[in-house]
Amino acid sequence: MRGKRFRPWSALLNGYGLLFLAFLYLPLGLIVVYSFNANPINMAEWTGFTLDWYATIFRGASTEGNFDAAFTESPERIFGVIRNSFLVALCAASVATVIGTATAIALARYRFFGKRFYQALLLLPMLVPDIVLGIALLIFFVGAGIELGLMTIIIGHITFLSSYVFVVVSARLAGMDTTLEQASADLGAGPLTTFRRVTLPQIMPGVVGGFLLAFIISLDDVVITYFIAGVGSQTLPLFILAMMRRGLRPQITALAVLILLFSLTVASIGLILRNRKS
Amino acid sequence: MTRKRNALLLLLAPISLILGIFFLIPLGIVVVYSFLEPGLYGGVEWTWYPYNYGRILGWPLNDYEEFDPIYLAIFATSLKYAFLTVLFSLLICYPAAFWVSRRSARWKGFVLFLITLPFFTSLLIRIYAWLLLLRPTGFINAGLEYLSLISQPLDLLFSGFAVVLGMVYIFTPFMFLPIYANVEKLDYSLIRASQDLGANPAQTFFRIILPLTAPGMIAGSIIVFIPALGNFIVPAFLGGAKVQMTGNLIERSFLQSRDWPFGSALALLIMASVVLVLMVQTIRAGRKQAGDAA
Amino acid sequence: MKRSLVRVLASAAAIAVCGQMAAAEGKLNLYNWGDYINPELIDAFGKEFGVEVTLDTYSTNEEMLARIQAGASGYDLVWPSVHMHDIMQQLGLLQPAHPNQMPGWENIDPAALRSKEDPNGDYCLPYAWGAVGIFYNKKLIPEVKGWTDFFAYAKANPGKITMLDDLRETLGVGLIMTGASVNSRDPDEISRAEEYISEQVPNIGAFRYDVIALVTAGDIAAGHYYVGAVLNALQDPENLGFVIPEEGATMYQEDICLLANAPNVDNAKLFMQFMLRPENAAKNAERLTNGTVNLAAIELLPENLRTNPSINPTPEVRAKLQIFDDLGKDLRLYTKAWDRIKTN
Repeated sequence: MRGKRFRPWSALLNGYGLLFLAFLYLPLGLIVVYSFNANPINMAEWTGFTLDWYATIFRGASTEGNFDAAFTESPERIFGVIRNSFLVALCAASVATVIGTATAIALARYRFFGKRFYQALLLLPMLVPDIVLGIALLIFFVGAGIELGLMTIIIGHITFLSSYVFVVVSARLAGMDTTLEQASADLGAGPLTTFRRVTLPQIMPGVVGGFLLAFIISLDDVVITYFIAGVGSQTLPLFILAMMRRGLRPQITALAVLILLFSLTVASIGLILRNRKS
Repeated sequence: MTRKRNALLLLLAPISLILGIFFLIPLGIVVVYSFLEPGLYGGVEWTWYPYNYGRILGWPLNDYEEFDPIYLAIFATSLKYAFLTVLFSLLICYPAAFWVSRRSARWKGFVLFLITLPFFTSLLIRIYAWLLLLRPTGFINAGLEYLSLISQPLDLLFSGFAVVLGMVYIFTPFMFLPIYANVEKLDYSLIRASQDLGANPAQTFFRIILPLTAPGMIAGSIIVFIPALGNFIVPAFLGGAKVQMTGNLIERSFLQSRDWPFGSALALLIMASVVLVLMVQTIRAGRKQAGDAA
Repeated sequence: MKRSLVRVLASAAAIAVCGQMAAAEGKLNLYNWGDYINPELIDAFGKEFGVEVTLDTYSTNEEMLARIQAGASGYDLVWPSVHMHDIMQQLGLLQPAHPNQMPGWENIDPAALRSKEDPNGDYCLPYAWGAVGIFYNKKLIPEVKGWTDFFAYAKANPGKITMLDDLRETLGVGLIMTGASVNSRDPDEISRAEEYISEQVPNIGAFRYDVIALVTAGDIAAGHYYVGAVLNALQDPENLGFVIPEEGATMYQEDICLLANAPNVDNAKLFMQFMLRPENAAKNAERLTNGTVNLAAIELLPENLRTNPSINPTPEVRAKLQIFDDLGKDLRLYTKAWDRIKTN
């Protein structure tokens, strides 16, 4: 019965909702369409269906004839870049998950001096503008004489990803009942056993969710990575950035669609898992 | 007791190390650098040099320069675009949050999924999509020309409009989710009571719905404002480097004009604005809590 | 027990993967501008010498310098512009590779030894040069002779031209048009140049590097761009053109330099020798469509490139081309002018 009086607004609101979804999806949908357009010069003008742009990613461009194919990067290079991205995301997200979870447990289960300081400190990396963190890390690594490369990117990512994992796991811990943990302790289980057998299984969805979030954010980070990348440590977003700087090419749209597909798959799995849980 | 203490130390050690070494120290160095003289070819000279801030304020650096607060003007532009981004995100997301909250439980999950999904795709690609849409021979202009609504392509790309649109687009989920969380909890009995008491829809909206959803709007606004203020990727691509924001200046100071201290000072300017916004919000929230308690 | 063993192994593997660092033999790490070497040459070099070549790219000299100074070593060869070559040599970032003792050195145009620090070619190998001019779409603007035409068109069609997002290049055009040197250190001259460009700004669509696609598709009519655009102009000469402005223009030259802390010195020198071969220099010039510094390579170029007035300009045109010097501290005169231009 509620909201019966809103009825005249309902149709309008529904229409608006669809417009909103269109606003979100139209640009992405167009990229997908463009990526199959054979017209290499003007992507808005349809001249025929092609899979060439995808082929150039996997096979490299034939240097003959193909307009603008002259400088398409070799497939090895693209795969190297993708490998870098995954290596960074996997390492950074794993470490950040451990650190973020440990911190969340410490802050949720212990009372100690300086707790509020930690709570504020953990929010900061998410609130500092990317560019500030990027240059701060650049100056720091240069000053400390640490060679820029995959390692510095991983470290840089861990600093802000830990905060994200912390927030996700904390949310899970906040809604959790502590009686089981107490019971376990009362029954003589050590803290480690209690953690492994009782706490961890309960917060697992939060930990996995935090890891996935961290993984995706790491995989997509441009700004911070841009400042602290070094030799041979180009990641996929930096690669796309460099490609975009040099011009609009249909190959970028094909690569974009592949990335879209991948992130949609990961995100869908994550969200479906979460929904099944609740 | 000591065992518990040890466990706590063990749990806190990694985050303390990571944030201490790779976050607080670097930020501290940025502060120090902002007071040093730029090295000729990047880096710094270790001499006290407050002129980086003077330069931001428009102070002439050499005797032949004149007072010219151009960097403040650029900062003002950044503020303007960040505010516009917040404003338009709000306008777009607010009704959408109501729309989603009024779906049936089954649809709600699916629609929420749809709205958060683009957030998980590459930021650059979402910007790139608008580049393709807005360019003079892009989809929008081609469509309008096809419909004979225009004869000359509109200059949509490389403008402040494109920058704001791009930022609204990439930050939509940041604004939508907090508002939605708030709207979802909205107490409809208050709305009905207001209507029963004879309030017209406008009164009900401004007196009841708006105040009740304000916390979500404020949270969303802050989360959008912060990354918008320091952004340099969107102005670089959709603004055609003609639209300058402070983020672009910082990038250029480090990677083109070899003036790290000036870039550091600018970064701290952005940082200070962010801290200011957060402090205002904390104080405001604190006062409201006190007011609610009283 | 078995499970914990698996766990230990898994974490060991994870650490091994995360800690994996490049340190192998038979490698060569290049750090070059984007789109600035024929990829076939890299493949050919790798195959001939059994060397694994990696190529990273940068888009400004300063970006490269910042990263090299930031200890981003691991690179062997870099491609600085001549003035950056001077800077890097002064900063001790380079080591002599003695290309002047390599076979084929006699083919290098003596005029290409432009570096003030390295007049005999002890350090770096001159690589390629080219003019910076105007790339245009003939459907929108049938003929462009120089900057006057370029800006006049923009005045009639605001937003339809772009200039490079590079302070020295774009202010350089202002300096040329106001009759000053592109290396001026005179604040008055620089401010006149700033004024000149500022007047054009309302008509300039954007400051960008990615001009090729925009001009080709007709999004914009003409763009301030490097001679490399001739590659595209030759593919569609009906519609696309490139011109070195008659009022004068800037030019660039890059040298291949060996970094002081290069890990693969021998392979780097092999690569220089490889690039000294006239057929390779020609292959590169063919793809980059810019001037080669290898006189023997000019003979090997296809007719249409050899006679192209933009790639191989006449001595009169060459005389009007100016190259950038390092300005040291005075660069800041340009920085503020540039910031003001972009804030209009």
